[in-house]
Amino acid sequence: MLEGAKSMGAGAATIASAGAAVGIGNVFSSLIHSVARNPSLAKQLFGYAILGFALTEAIALFALMMAFLILFVF
Amino acid sequence: MAYEMIMKPMTFKITWKDGLVITPWERPIGPTHGPSDPSLPSGSPVKDALDLAQDVPHSPLDQFAIKSFLDMRVGYLYISFTNPTFFMLLTLGLVFLLFHLVTKKGGGKSVPNAWQSLVELIYDFVPNLVNEQIGGHVKQKFFPCISVTFTFSLFCNLQGMIPYSFIVTSHFLITLGLSFSIFIGITLVGFQRNGLHFLSFSLPAGVPLPLAPFLVLLELIPHSFRALSSGIRLFANMMAGHSSVKILSGSAWTMLCMNDLFYFIGDLGPLCLVLALTGLELGVAISQAHVSTISICIYLNDATNLHQTFFIVIFL
Repeated sequence: MLEGAKSMGAGAATIASAGAAVGIGNVFSSLIHSVARNPSLAKQLFGYAILGFALTEAIALFALMMAFLILFVF
Repeated sequence: MAYEMIMKPMTFKITWKDGLVITPWERPIGPTHGPSDPSLPSGSPVKDALDLAQDVPHSPLDQFAIKSFLDMRVGYLYISFTNPTFFMLLTLGLVFLLFHLVTKKGGGKSVPNAWQSLVELIYDFVPNLVNEQIGGHVKQKFFPCISVTFTFSLFCNLQGMIPYSFIVTSHFLITLGLSFSIFIGITLVGFQRNGLHFLSFSLPAGVPLPLAPFLVLLELIPHSFRALSSGIRLFANMMAGHSSVKILSGSAWTMLCMNDLFYFIGDLGPLCLVLALTGLELGVAISQAHVSTISICIYLNDATNLHQTFFIVIFL
């Protein structure tokens, strides 16, 4: 019973990665848009995009961390 | 904190098969069946794999366990020499040795070799960030502190990627200690430079007065959450990354041990995934050091210049 509930909880926690997927897609689509408009800024924009990617990915990892905590700690 | 959190399940015991009483922590690999599961026919691939995988650590969180090398207690203070201490000292020692050897005899050569280029790259990376993010004339003052923080988190993250070593920054207590001390330092800097005007960080300029009480509350919450968030970000990235690499490599190992040609070929999938994930983790280790340095710079800029320069407000 408890095992099943844990699996369900961990599975539900990973739904959050959908939001992170949207976020990461948004970051890189904005990068492509901006570079298409002004290719001379590509290098600088790429740095910002990587920063945005890291911040967005951190949110996804919060969800992953919750899943791990549910599965392995409790 | 992470240690207590992880070790708490050890306090209760469960009865395993054949009346063997063990803690859940010590149970054989696999969530539902032990190595000598009688329901499985002998010689089946699953049983072989489970028998072979006996000596593998059982939980992906096992790699974060803190073991004490030298027990030391002062009253109720537990100041043992543990494996995080050891790896932190090892990392810092190696980095200091590298920096010392490169800058020996009054600085390096004018044509740098590879090591000197690496050290110069790391050194040059931080002032760029500091100059970009912090306005005003104070940036040089904070550069050493930010540089040390960056170097520490970078090398601790990277050192954790060595197989069978221990990752220091995957412990909430350590990253939280780092981020809290930085937060306290930044608050002190803000009060020192601006006096009581520093309190105006909680009210954006040009807000109508009736809104002020709500806005002060609303601004205070993210501001104090910064202390938590940069610690949580580093910790979550490192812990989640290392656990997922561990889970995937455990799966690859189990498939490899199943004595079955089909699984042996299929094993290439998880194996390539582990390799790719290791590359990603190396990238994450570097970019997380970068991100935490940038957020420190942004907080410092907010504290020294208050609302003069507008930049992206980063909550997390």
